[in-house]
Amino acid sequence: MFEFIKKSRGVLGMNSRNLEYIRPLNRTSAKRLADNKLLSKRILKKNDIAVPALISQIKTLEDLDNFDWQKLPDSFVLKPNRGFGGEGIIVIYGRKKNRADAWIKADGSIVTIDDLKNHTRNILDGSYSLSGIPDTAFFEERLKLLKLFKPYAFKGIPDIRIIVFNKMPIMAMLRLPTKESHGKANLAQGAIGVGIDLASGVTTTAVAGKQKIIEYLPGTRLLLSGIKIPYWMDILNLAVRSQEISGLGFLGVDIAIDKERGPVILELNARPGLAIQVANLDGLKWRLKKAAGIKIKTIKKGIRVGMDLFGGEIEEELEEISGKKVIGTVEKVKLIGKDGKEIEVEAKIDTGADWSSIDNELAKQLGFTQTIDEFEKLKMPYEDLKNLDKEKRWAIYKNIPDIASTIPVKSSNGYTYRPMINVEFIMDNVTTSTKITLIDRSHMQYSMIIGKVNLKKFLIDSSK
Amino acid sequence: MNELNFHISPILTFFLNEGVPFETIRLILMLPIIATLIAFLRQVVGIKAFGIYTPLLVTFAFLATNGIKYGIVIFVVIILIGMLMRIALKSFRLLYLPRVAIMLTIVALSILVMLVIGGSLKRTGLASVSIFPILIMITLVEKFIAVQIEKGDRAAILLATETLIISILGFYLASWEALIQFIASYPWTILFTIPMNIILGKWTGLRFSEYLRFGEIIKRN
Repeated sequence: MFEFIKKSRGVLGMNSRNLEYIRPLNRTSAKRLADNKLLSKRILKKNDIAVPALISQIKTLEDLDNFDWQKLPDSFVLKPNRGFGGEGIIVIYGRKKNRADAWIKADGSIVTIDDLKNHTRNILDGSYSLSGIPDTAFFEERLKLLKLFKPYAFKGIPDIRIIVFNKMPIMAMLRLPTKESHGKANLAQGAIGVGIDLASGVTTTAVAGKQKIIEYLPGTRLLLSGIKIPYWMDILNLAVRSQEISGLGFLGVDIAIDKERGPVILELNARPGLAIQVANLDGLKWRLKKAAGIKIKTIKKGIRVGMDLFGGEIEEELEEISGKKVIGTVEKVKLIGKDGKEIEVEAKIDTGADWSSIDNELAKQLGFTQTIDEFEKLKMPYEDLKNLDKEKRWAIYKNIPDIASTIPVKSSNGYTYRPMINVEFIMDNVTTSTKITLIDRSHMQYSMIIGKVNLKKFLIDSSK
Repeated sequence: MNELNFHISPILTFFLNEGVPFETIRLILMLPIIATLIAFLRQVVGIKAFGIYTPLLVTFAFLATNGIKYGIVIFVVIILIGMLMRIALKSFRLLYLPRVAIMLTIVALSILVMLVIGGSLKRTGLASVSIFPILIMITLVEKFIAVQIEKGDRAAILLATETLIISILGFYLASWEALIQFIASYPWTILFTIPMNIILGKWTGLRFSEYLRFGEIIKRN
């Protein structure tokens, strides 16, 4: 019980969000900007940030009477300026054939000019605005769904919510509209939230609605984890830049990906919800606390630090799934030579090589001086050795101390036979006992390469 | 003058002698306590209800009706009618205020019918409920509709249920004989609600409901 309470400190609750983050960090003027979609659209656009294009707006009943409905394009979105939670939004997919006064919605139902007028009147009346104040209605470009998301999204466009604080991305989730949410990407209305690993932009865990943890898209066998979000770096960059522009210290940015235009900012949120924690199965509070102490000068640095501090869970998960360790292209390796002599070196991971090899000098340090000296003394030309069978060749070398085998090696001046010895090495806590080739690598950057035979227990991440 | 059979603080005795009824004094002194209870339930327990004003008013409406059961009946009837009317009015696509006005009309008439039925069934307690608590509860309708529009039916029903629970708790707290006697003897103690609310106002811990909501996260980390 005590442990439970202690662990819960990493989670951000409503009280703390309001008192410690929104209140001191989001000033009234910045909040006003976030709550006013048209204003934030204008300001973001001025700063060269991609937003859905504005088609036109209706501010008063007079505007409504004079509005030319025919000039609306075939597809568009009608939105209340101060709406919240995705309420009051109508998405139009195309014109109804053979009718000048009607369009079609996502669900195939028909919307007439009269319907749109009525809806606009409700918007102007403030039916969808915070605290019911009179509002403006506007039309904007309808974003086109990315092919990647098609199987996952129900009649709507998924978006990516990113919490930004202190110029750092803190946590991210992908929100998928569902039937329950009526095509809206809002968790409170039943959309699906999928956690995203900040470092890789790959989805992790998922929640349906506000609480239910799921693995598959309901009703399908589509796994929700492992989706790689395209334009990930651009998305993080947009998110952090929008924080700088808006002046919101604690910000939830909603970003959608348009098929043609790429990532665009849909909305800024001055009061981001807490469900993102459930989607990621991780608390926001410890991340915010950690991020608070760091001085970040540039956006680039902020993104980097955020990715490093809060990303990377994916890797451990991959290891759990495959049972293999993930390594980079260069890894620290501890070699154990003769009489338990240990030397730590940086080794190059080389999937082009069959066997691992180390430099002669390194072999000498490990206690194999005699092996090398006696091998060199024999000075056998390659042409002679090539035509011998295995046993005869071995007969020549078998008396050299510690030798385990010989192997033909291609180098810049043709093939040569090189000795192999038995060693143990430890890489990423995995101990391997293996034959290894001794060659001259004095002109190379790394004194050891690890080849295919010793890489069976590992996965290689070339970005590491 | 003091027909009450327990100790009363001199200041209250003075009020009573000036002609302020004890019932009124009791309600006024209970108000900060119930308000604090609602604040506590919101910040620490996580019961939201319709803000602070509505559950407070409903509590007082309960206190002013003859027995809480009629109050609860009226509350439930109002919410049910609000829900049914929303469905009935949906296809008319009316603007907000006219729609609320129609709902209020129907709710008011339904309550009238209910009182008549109560009277005919010799439930005189129901028929004699005074008009003010009824009016207070009718204002619930607007709150309910507003939440329905903003957050959907489920959220509205949940918040209405929470409001009802808080109001019932508030009713029993304000009717608790020992508390009434204590407040009557030491009326100044209600000032302690101010520091209590300062503590609540600075409270940044997780709400009880959030321990449930985020339980899975806490368990896994």
